[in-house]
Amino acid sequence: MSFDSPFHVTIDFDTSHMIFPTIIAIILGILFTAILITRGRTMLATITNGPWWPAGIDHMRFFGTLVLTVIYFTAMPSVGDFFPNTGLGFYLCSIPYLFALSTLFLHERTRRTLLIAGANALIAPTIVWYILSELFNISLP
Amino acid sequence: MELLSILTPMFFTLVTAGTVIGIIFGAIPGMTATMAVAVCLPLTYSLGLENGLALLLGLYVGGISGGLVPAILLNIPGTPSSITTTLDGYPMTQNGEGERALKIGITSSLIGGLFSLAALYLFAPALADFAIKFSYIEKFLIIFFALTVMAALSSSLLVGIFSGFLGIFISLIGAYDISRGGNGELRLVPEFLEYYLESGFSLLPVLIGLFGLATILIEAEQGMKEGQSLSGVKIGGKPFKLSIFKGQFVNLFRSSAIGTFVGILPGVGGSAASILAYSQEKNFSKTPEKFGKGEPAGVIASESANNGLTGGALVPLLSLGIPGDSTTAILIGAFTLQGIQVGPLFIGNNPVTWDAMIIAMLVANIVMFLVMVFAIRHLAKVVTVPKNILFPIILMMCVVGAYTINYGVMFDVWTLLIFGLFGYLAHKIGLEIAPFIIGFILGPSAEIYFVKSLESFGTFSIFFTKSWIAGLLWVLIAISIAFSISVAWKKNKTENE
Repeated sequence: MSFDSPFHVTIDFDTSHMIFPTIIAIILGILFTAILITRGRTMLATITNGPWWPAGIDHMRFFGTLVLTVIYFTAMPSVGDFFPNTGLGFYLCSIPYLFALSTLFLHERTRRTLLIAGANALIAPTIVWYILSELFNISLP
Repeated sequence: MELLSILTPMFFTLVTAGTVIGIIFGAIPGMTATMAVAVCLPLTYSLGLENGLALLLGLYVGGISGGLVPAILLNIPGTPSSITTTLDGYPMTQNGEGERALKIGITSSLIGGLFSLAALYLFAPALADFAIKFSYIEKFLIIFFALTVMAALSSSLLVGIFSGFLGIFISLIGAYDISRGGNGELRLVPEFLEYYLESGFSLLPVLIGLFGLATILIEAEQGMKEGQSLSGVKIGGKPFKLSIFKGQFVNLFRSSAIGTFVGILPGVGGSAASILAYSQEKNFSKTPEKFGKGEPAGVIASESANNGLTGGALVPLLSLGIPGDSTTAILIGAFTLQGIQVGPLFIGNNPVTWDAMIIAMLVANIVMFLVMVFAIRHLAKVVTVPKNILFPIILMMCVVGAYTINYGVMFDVWTLLIFGLFGYLAHKIGLEIAPFIIGFILGPSAEIYFVKSLESFGTFSIFFTKSWIAGLLWVLIAISIAFSISVAWKKNKTENE
């Protein structure tokens, strides 16, 4: 883009893909600076006075959810490679994932609550896998 | 006749199922109508457009309505749009009038929903007919106007604008779309991700991450509180009679109109509608001191306004292609899945789909009313469903949704995780998700309209001089910015005092 006069511009088609992102990036920079100027003191006070993240959160449930989810996402395609085009990667990984997550979220781990979590972990993926993969032929990992 | 072939038992079953599931999502604190629509969206893939929309519109109406159950019984708003319902609904429950408060709220929701449906039916085709004449310049200015309105009504003007522009910036990742006149060159993509991000981030995994995974991460951070107990809550008590609405017609009409109008404004959620309607009713009331202590007029104002939003939010979506709120933004995904573009030509080119949507909304409102009135005692129990059972299932459905949307791409599942984390961080640092999403959806169109206008006319002045509509849009943009500055100034003044 070249400026012939304050209002007139010539667009070079070969570089036209960068015009809009550049303008938006400049606007974002200006807005970010404006936020820092207007709210900088409040933000600084929050950073210096308040407890630092992740203090004050439920570490076990938050990071447990993240770790289990990453393992689940990583395992699905690997298990699925053993049973191509069957959706079994999704099915076989969802059962332990649901059980682990349900147990992680539980506050009282009794025989009854663990049984309910186990039944849920077996039934829910079975229904979803059967309906989507078997009945509707929708591809699953 | 073509319409009759669409109105099958399956169509009505899906509307009913969607409404009931939506009510359940809305009634469980922490789960919203937006989450319900995002999680169920992939299921519409195999249903076809009209049946898919029947399910999603049912979810939308049910999800917005269900929020009143915990708001009235437990003083916990099920959805953000039922915040003001707690103010008078819960005191009514404490006075032993729980069932009466619920039925007042349900009836008001029905009236608000039907009012906004009538507005949608009348205004959307007229606005679309007008918008057909728009060139790229007016279309770009409409998007610009939408962003300024969103920012004006955000909790912080600067952060609202920043979030909207950040959404636009992230939507530009990938190739400059050849099919829309771009040069096909990649931008903003690291070399090792070029294969995955050639078409940028897919819309649906982004939405599912922001509204599904992020919500669950926020709940996990707070320790995943167990389902609430209804023991000690009096649902029965004084019976409900329609005569309670005597003298409330102005309140009902005004609150429904406020809800519909707020819905039409892009990116503004139901909470703004119900807060505005509630404060207006309190201002006009002869007995404002009764508000907050169990005044039925407060429940009527709040609930008719938040359901008034449902039809209103569909007006800009179906006539201009601009979503009215975050839930209707996800509805765009349903059209995308079926290869249909929403915008000024949608209603004219798809009259049967348009009629089917109106019928689905009508049926959803009636089903919502019947189900909630006759089964409210049973439905109230859903607030006690344990989250340790529900949330893992929702996460699994999020994965299914993200994976199937592009016929089985694992990168979309990782996109879900990336945007789930982004949504969590945005919540922590105070970024606004609604402007972000609308910026993300409208960014690629804004780019094409802006760059092509400059290529054709070679001058920035064309954005001001193209037509009287462009002039009018600049006036609206100026009013919107002036309004937001005035609100920010008043807020600062109040805080300093």
